[in-house]
Amino acid sequence: MSSTRIDTGTPCVSLQGLRVAFGRQTVLDGLDWALPVGQVVGLLGRNGAGKTTLIETLLGLRDADAGRVVLFGQSALALDDDARARIGYVPQRSDLFEWMTADQLLAYFRSFYPRWNTAKVDGLLSRWDIARDKPIAKLSGGQQQRLSIIRALAHEPELLVLDEPVSSLDPAGRRDFLRELVDQVVDLRTTVVFSTHILSDLERVALDVAFLSGGNIALHATLDDLLESSVRLAGAPADVQGFVSEHQLDAITRQGAAGPIIVRRRGAGGVPATTPAVTVEPVTLEDLFMALTE
Amino acid sequence: MRWVSWCITVVIHKDRSPRVTDSSLFSVVAGSAEPIYRQLVAQVRRCVAGGQLKAGDELPSVRDLAQSLAVNPMTVSKAYGLLEAEGLVTRRRGLAMVIAEQHRRAQPAADRIDLLRPTLERAAQEVRQLQLPAAQALILFKTILNEQEGD
Repeated sequence: MSSTRIDTGTPCVSLQGLRVAFGRQTVLDGLDWALPVGQVVGLLGRNGAGKTTLIETLLGLRDADAGRVVLFGQSALALDDDARARIGYVPQRSDLFEWMTADQLLAYFRSFYPRWNTAKVDGLLSRWDIARDKPIAKLSGGQQQRLSIIRALAHEPELLVLDEPVSSLDPAGRRDFLRELVDQVVDLRTTVVFSTHILSDLERVALDVAFLSGGNIALHATLDDLLESSVRLAGAPADVQGFVSEHQLDAITRQGAAGPIIVRRRGAGGVPATTPAVTVEPVTLEDLFMALTE
Repeated sequence: MRWVSWCITVVIHKDRSPRVTDSSLFSVVAGSAEPIYRQLVAQVRRCVAGGQLKAGDELPSVRDLAQSLAVNPMTVSKAYGLLEAEGLVTRRRGLAMVIAEQHRRAQPAADRIDLLRPTLERAAQEVRQLQLPAAQALILFKTILNEQEGD
């Protein structure tokens, strides 16, 4: 493991009081967030929650109406070339120059970066079966997405931002991509932000999850801790209410008239067991996604 | 019982070199309430209890297992760390994880059945929720066990 990078303890990215509105619609509403170096974070949110807006603002590609984004200690809106070269980005819609061939495109991008891993690029192009000499417009959607991923990995970025990177890939293609991401994390301690709707992919590689809802990060937690500390409670409302206060649980969902609620224990220790009045059941990431992104 | 099939693939190397467990011994179910590192720990625990993994058998390296399952290497490290803390595996020179010395043979059936209990408790709860008669659920379980053996 050849890592020459030094973890100084300062976050790789920090966002403070970020506000972005389109006309009268507020998308990000005073959002605060920080990504420590070397973390792999899954960004989750419903359609229209503002994931792409958040990612574009984080990268300095979009102006915020208020707030600050700091990347590698610099303002995202005034990044120097050195900082730019440390970022890899796979946008939701591939923005490749479609008249070029894959080889031409990669040669073009190579000229911008001081570091470029030719062996990795060649290996991925052949393993992922991408024609080098065909115009990009003639490649399939999945191949274009893979090319976009190769382009983002080629300069071995320290921060890798992926906006729905696997939406056009089949399950085998997604698995290949995850393996590549695993390698990247092992070898380079890359900080990764990864938005996707495919929770099963996210669970495999993201150690942390962040839920975007109501213009804010509703929760950022370690996935394992979240799964182990959260449960679904069912029973008569009064019984459930008593159970919640007795065991010092925090409600993640609001309790409806009768429906079950999801709660999270405060601090360490086990979750309480089922009683005759209240049933306690484990929850999955999908349950939490539904609960936290309402 | 899915774990029956998890515990069958072990690569045996020639002569006196340690048996290196194939990564295909492990599998990961996404979308589960059980975190991935706990799934891996439970799989090793079951295979050791059943005697499929024995003292001296080597687990795959963190990197190999992370690659083959396409999971974060930190998750594999966490599972191995927990297994080490439980005394199921020890760290050998060169960082390979091997099944600990005391696990020479399968555990007594009584201990193994304890490991099965939580899974069956969950199944029993589902039987009650579905309002199925116990006899019918037992017939289904028997049928499934026999199907697996026929494979």
